[in-house]
Amino acid sequence: MKKNYALPLFLASILIVAFAAVAGSGRNGSDLPAPPAIGTTLDDFKLPDADGAEHSLKLLAGKNGAVIIFVATKCPVSNAYNDRMEKLAQDYKAKGINVIGINSNNTEPAPEVKSHAGEKHLTFTILKDDGNKIADRLGATKTPEVYVTDANLKLVYHGRIDNSQKIEGITSNDLREALDEMLAGKPISKTGGAAFGCTIKRVS
Amino acid sequence: MKSIPGQVAISAVGLMIVLGASLAAFAQTPSASPAKTVNQILSVRGKYFDDLVPLPKKHYIPECCFCHKPPFSFNDWRLKPVRPPGEVREIDFEGLKKILQRDPKDTRPLLVNFWATWCDPCREEFPDLVKLDAEYTAKRLNFVAVSLDDISDIKTAVPRFLKEMKATMPVVLLNVNDPEPAIHAVDEKWDGQLPATFLYDKDGRVVFKYFGRIKPEELRSAIDKQVGSKQ
Repeated sequence: MKKNYALPLFLASILIVAFAAVAGSGRNGSDLPAPPAIGTTLDDFKLPDADGAEHSLKLLAGKNGAVIIFVATKCPVSNAYNDRMEKLAQDYKAKGINVIGINSNNTEPAPEVKSHAGEKHLTFTILKDDGNKIADRLGATKTPEVYVTDANLKLVYHGRIDNSQKIEGITSNDLREALDEMLAGKPISKTGGAAFGCTIKRVS
Repeated sequence: MKSIPGQVAISAVGLMIVLGASLAAFAQTPSASPAKTVNQILSVRGKYFDDLVPLPKKHYIPECCFCHKPPFSFNDWRLKPVRPPGEVREIDFEGLKKILQRDPKDTRPLLVNFWATWCDPCREEFPDLVKLDAEYTAKRLNFVAVSLDDISDIKTAVPRFLKEMKATMPVVLLNVNDPEPAIHAVDEKWDGQLPATFLYDKDGRVVFKYFGRIKPEELRSAIDKQVGSKQ
């Protein structure tokens, strides 16, 4: 009799364990791959800007690195950072670090990206990521979300711009501190900072 | 004419059986006092929502499920808070931690949805959440919607949206200068994207989480597992 019960019991236990694993596991709305780990060298990619001209990450990056920011036209959080992003681009261009915006929202077409940049006086290059391929590759989920590479496209920082949507509330200037540390040849002391943001609207 | 006394006798016997069964069901109910259950619910909810306890009794109506699934039990009686749509309470990080810390006496699953009026997918999924709230109040789901709107919106955009949605679940607005501790307190894997939805079991374990617009059937299935497990 024992032999008769052994197989069903074994199968049942496997089912229970599998069920518990599935029930306890997290779900991501888009089942995205994890972002590349800090220290990973990013593969170069090409994307068009709002006028359709193609750019590669390698050529857009400055001699000391690049700041990639996933941005949006309609997201109030991303828009709250427009002035700060532009100031950052101006401040660090002279230091050999270029800011590159990427718009991956499928709800915001290239003409809208162009007119938004004009209205908000954003002078740094903003690429249009149709099909959110680069957002998927980098595991970007929200706007604004920042990735920093050094001159060799090695990822050194991934996270937020700072701790507060309101300028008067800033107490931790995470991105600027990371850039200054990179320029000084120091290890980045803080990466992975979290902040609320708008979900990137991906193609379904 | 001859069969009338027989019909009366059969009807009387039938009535006695029905009455007997009802009394037996009543006697077997462990907590047979609806008032006690009411007080228990109030005390449990009061630990999380200070605004619930002082509400006058007229704001609560008894809700009963026995009409749908006889034989009934008084455990099915509960209170449903009937709050005017649009009520929002400000909380800080400590307030959020209080919501997430489960009282051992509270056996209800806890559903927490993080949202904001400026977040399109949050707005899109909200009608589904309102439906779920209406559907599960009878099953004792503790549902809290946490708004990440700016504090300046607590009397304007947030209540306006809630009224539009006819939302009556408890809604709090998290007012923190640095969101990172709050985000990490909720879930280490969460990076702050909205909306985000978490379901905790009675022991405070996350049994379901979803980043982005929920799929109502998936969430309903997860809730059913928790609600069903305690019945």
